Amino acid sequence: MVHARRGSIGRYYDVNGWLFVAPVLGLIGLFMIYPIFWSLWMSFQSGRGMMMKFVGFGNIVRLWNDPVFIKALTNTMTYFVVQVPIMILLALILASILNNPRLFGRGLFRTAIFLPCVTSLVAYSVLFKGMFATDGVVNSTLQAIGIVSSPIPWLTHPFWAKALVIIAITWRWTGYNMIFYLAALQNIDRSIYEVARIDGVPAWARFTHITIPLLKPVILFTTVISTIGTVQLFDEVYNLTEGRGGPSNATLTLSLYIYNLTFRFMPNFGYAATVSYVIVVLVALLAFFQFFAARERDK
Amino acid sequence: MDNLARALPRIAGLALASVSFLAVTAAQAKEITIWCWDPNFNVAIMKEAGARYTKTHPDVTFNVVDFAKTDVEQKLQTGLASGTADALPDIVLIEDYGAQKYLQSFPGAFAPLSGTVDYSGFAPYKVQVMTVGDQVYGMPFDSGVTGLYYRKDYLEQAGFKPEDMQNLTWDRFIEIGQQVEEKTGKKMMGLDPNDAGLVRIIMQSAGQWYFDKDGKANVTGNPALKAALETVGKIMSANVYKPAAGWSDWVGTFTSGDVAAVVTGVWITGTVKAQPDQAGKWGVAPIPKLAIDGATHASNLGGSSWYVLESSAEKAEAIDFLNEIYGKDIDFYQTILQDRGAVGSLLAARGGAAYEAADPFFGGEKVWQSFSDWLAKVPSVNYGIFTNEADTAVTAQLPALTQGTPVDDVLKAIDAEVSAQIQ
Repeated sequence: MVHARRGSIGRYYDVNGWLFVAPVLGLIGLFMIYPIFWSLWMSFQSGRGMMMKFVGFGNIVRLWNDPVFIKALTNTMTYFVVQVPIMILLALILASILNNPRLFGRGLFRTAIFLPCVTSLVAYSVLFKGMFATDGVVNSTLQAIGIVSSPIPWLTHPFWAKALVIIAITWRWTGYNMIFYLAALQNIDRSIYEVARIDGVPAWARFTHITIPLLKPVILFTTVISTIGTVQLFDEVYNLTEGRGGPSNATLTLSLYIYNLTFRFMPNFGYAATVSYVIVVLVALLAFFQFFAARERDK
Repeated sequence: MDNLARALPRIAGLALASVSFLAVTAAQAKEITIWCWDPNFNVAIMKEAGARYTKTHPDVTFNVVDFAKTDVEQKLQTGLASGTADALPDIVLIEDYGAQKYLQSFPGAFAPLSGTVDYSGFAPYKVQVMTVGDQVYGMPFDSGVTGLYYRKDYLEQAGFKPEDMQNLTWDRFIEIGQQVEEKTGKKMMGLDPNDAGLVRIIMQSAGQWYFDKDGKANVTGNPALKAALETVGKIMSANVYKPAAGWSDWVGTFTSGDVAAVVTGVWITGTVKAQPDQAGKWGVAPIPKLAIDGATHASNLGGSSWYVLESSAEKAEAIDFLNEIYGKDIDFYQTILQDRGAVGSLLAARGGAAYEAADPFFGGEKVWQSFSDWLAKVPSVNYGIFTNEADTAVTAQLPALTQGTPVDDVLKAIDAEVSAQIQ
């Protein structure tokens, strides 16, 4: 009797529970799960606009023979390989400097370094474009202090355009990563550093042997987040190059290529979906490697 | 609770009544929504056209929405792809290069106007870009007939008279550019290395395009494209240009008085004339010519046309409006020419008084007559459906050209990229 009643209450709670989450599940299904599978189905089709037909793995074959895709993939990987380590290291160094309680005005510095990541992506890109113009403030400063003799062609030379994109995203996202490290640093017991200091461990060794190992989970987290962000890079390049990824496709990213395939070129939604699945696979692989590299070896 | 229960049917009734009231008024007053770009050109011209039509049809009003060109294209492409007609306007402006792309990839999305509009009255190349099969879609609008705008004062300092600027070749143009720089310190023209506009102008002036009549890529065996790339390469290696990054930067090269000449479409006239302190200093000549077979002094850059959406609730009114104003109103074309510098493609409009008028800004030259003469000579080409792709391939290879890569290799690289894109 008691058992039966408990069962019915249990069912009552079960049904109610599912009813409560049903709207959310429905929305997730409709706006997340369904598009994911639909775009997977689309990636097996190709065509012009609405005139789509099934091509099997035709789009994947096309990827191999598409010099623009190869270029976009190379650029994206270059950004990732160069930018993410620079930014992570910079954020770590800044965080441990700003964690020093004796530093004057550290609240101000923390805010100033974090501030870029709350600015609008479009606004800061447009601002960077102006600052790095041929006769912009950056070039005139560099010339005034005698570092370069002629203006650096930031927006028109393939190498410098890439460098500019890397400078821009580093400026914007370093503060964001730094905040994670600062938060994690608060959780490291001060006494560990105290002991190290008493034992005469120099500052650099304290950083590499105490701070970095103890921050490992956070470093892993920020690396994965930054990887995803860099592989999906779009806004900065779009705004700095007027949506073209120029000069010579030198700054074209995979996301910008997807945009062009969908909105600027003859609309081929199937092929664009295939390229977007390249990003999915890329992010999954890179995240897997990062987790693999950061696994606990001694357990 | 009781009060609410009694009030509910009344509220519902009221809501229903107001909805039906709205529906009734909507049926009486028709509003035509139009998407286009450039507030000083297309938007202003469409407002003028709307005002003229409302005078004779008081029940029709217009909502002209101003977007950036890329936004219009993106919103249109998204709306057509999603299949929801509610998000789309009744009339949309499409640049000629993109027309075939939309017409072919979204069949049935645009209303054919073949039965209504008399297309024999329009410049043939404009009608060709909006024809699919035996149906013609859209109302031909402005022409991008090209001209060479030059600063008389700078050229005079360098020892050139307006007569010297007529019927140039590109080689001569570059020579003049070198002398202008020597004498005045000014560059001959502004050039954006990320914009293939100049390549397109030169190529079309010799009657060729990135694609042949059947829409197949026409790159490696295209003498006009080869000559166009060589010419741009020469301009760059002779260093007679001021580099520009992006459109507004490029416009700045001549509004600031930094360059002596501009080669572009007639629609730039309004921007040139927007500098009152430069009045009387500008002249207009035909663009320079290539030294190959079939080369002319006339070409086209840009230009666009109006299209009616098939799904539009006001389709009939929209078609009638375009036909009444853009298809027949000669006086309207005189107004938009004088106010906005818009050279329409309705041939009958060329007989109007405004086309005969001398423009004091250009030192009393009859510039409009010149442009409409050149318009009749623009070689007709097939823009195909992949102009954006080909353009991207060309801009990607322009730096290689300036670094001394042989033109044939550059053409091969462009061909490889275009071939991979057009499928």
